[in-house]
Amino acid sequence: MSPSFLQTTAIVVKVVDYGESDKIVTFFTETFGKITGIAKGAKRSKKRFVNKLEFFTLLEITVIPSRRSSLCLIDQANLLNTFPGLREHYHRYTGAMLMCEMIDQWTREYDSDVELFSLLASTLEKISTCRVKENVIFFLIKMLDILGFGLQLDHCIVCDKFETNALPYSFSPARNGIICGKCRGQNDIGMTRLSISSIKTMQMSRTLPIDKLSRLKISSQSLQEAADILRLYCRFQLQRDINSWKQFELK
Amino acid sequence: MNVVPPALERLIADLNHLPGVGVKTATRLALYLLRRPAEEARVLARDLVDLHDAITLCSNCFAFSETDPCAICADSRRDSRMVCVVEEVADLMAVEKTGAFQGQYHILHGVLSPMDGIGPDEIKVDALVSRIDRQQVKEVLIATSSTVPGEATAAYLTDRLQSKDIRLTRLACGIPMGMDIKYADELTLTRAIESRKKY
Repeated sequence: MSPSFLQTTAIVVKVVDYGESDKIVTFFTETFGKITGIAKGAKRSKKRFVNKLEFFTLLEITVIPSRRSSLCLIDQANLLNTFPGLREHYHRYTGAMLMCEMIDQWTREYDSDVELFSLLASTLEKISTCRVKENVIFFLIKMLDILGFGLQLDHCIVCDKFETNALPYSFSPARNGIICGKCRGQNDIGMTRLSISSIKTMQMSRTLPIDKLSRLKISSQSLQEAADILRLYCRFQLQRDINSWKQFELK
Repeated sequence: MNVVPPALERLIADLNHLPGVGVKTATRLALYLLRRPAEEARVLARDLVDLHDAITLCSNCFAFSETDPCAICADSRRDSRMVCVVEEVADLMAVEKTGAFQGQYHILHGVLSPMDGIGPDEIKVDALVSRIDRQQVKEVLIATSSTVPGEATAAYLTDRLQSKDIRLTRLACGIPMGMDIKYADELTLTRAIESRKKY
């Protein structure tokens, strides 16, 4: 028998207005993974939900699962953190939006992952004050790793070697891995060039624990290359583009 | 055998496209219209056609209007050097209802929402920037909602308009009238304290 209500810590990753006064909210929760619920009268509410069911807010929620649909009824929400910095600067906002859209697209409902939740919460906290682009890129690399779709950057997927003189390396989204200059041959359609420093920084970001990621420094060229291959890889895996990329890359 | 006449079926399908109207509501509305005198349905049909024939966007503020410029922009008593930026037409109506604002409006027709593919190019930001120069605007009041997308849009507008020689203001944010302070969240209360004013 399913429990009559669920209580957990959650981050709002998507909000859609529904009808006159309701909201449909997608949370990424600590205990139950992604869940979607309807908040009745949320737009009119002056006490119960005001300023709570907003993008990126960290909440303590109580939801009532429905027997007939996957949409829960949101019963209560207590505010823990609004990350106010994310709404005060456009580039922080676009970075947080990209992270939330990725979480929404890459995760399934009721597939819990405490590590991913803490990665999301800590990265939102970090980008609400500084280093938006770096932290978002590290988040995406780490997120793919946690979900089992990590980028294969340790060695060339053809010859199994990692030689710094076998440059330039390219990334193949279809084969999820880097291919060295010797193995690539003539046909590199759909592949993106990667410098050795970009590969090394991305390798390090995969191995470093979440709390130490902020120590990692990355050049603007590596950042751009990492963003390019992540976008390409996500598009290939999801078979659709992530809308937030367009605005994120402008900054 | 089709029990629903095709004309009724078509109307149900059309009404079903409206936001918040499901098949059951659409069927109820269609049957209601069918039971009413034919003239009422004709008037409704004529009004629907007129909606697009008669109404246009004001080229100055982008409000829906039967004239261009709209009644507000054409009103010489209103201060054209003071512009209130709102998200939607409904927000203009809400501000206008207060009677407290005597300037003109600028409707963005949306807020920045990267997840929905809406960036600065998709809303009327460039038109606002050129309007400020054209009208020699002295004050821009940003009246976007205090939701996350509304605040982010306000932050973007602030960045874009920072270099202009104008007074940039934002709607005050704090405790709503009639609200008990103990029910206010921390962010609202913080904002209320920050924007406190002298008695």
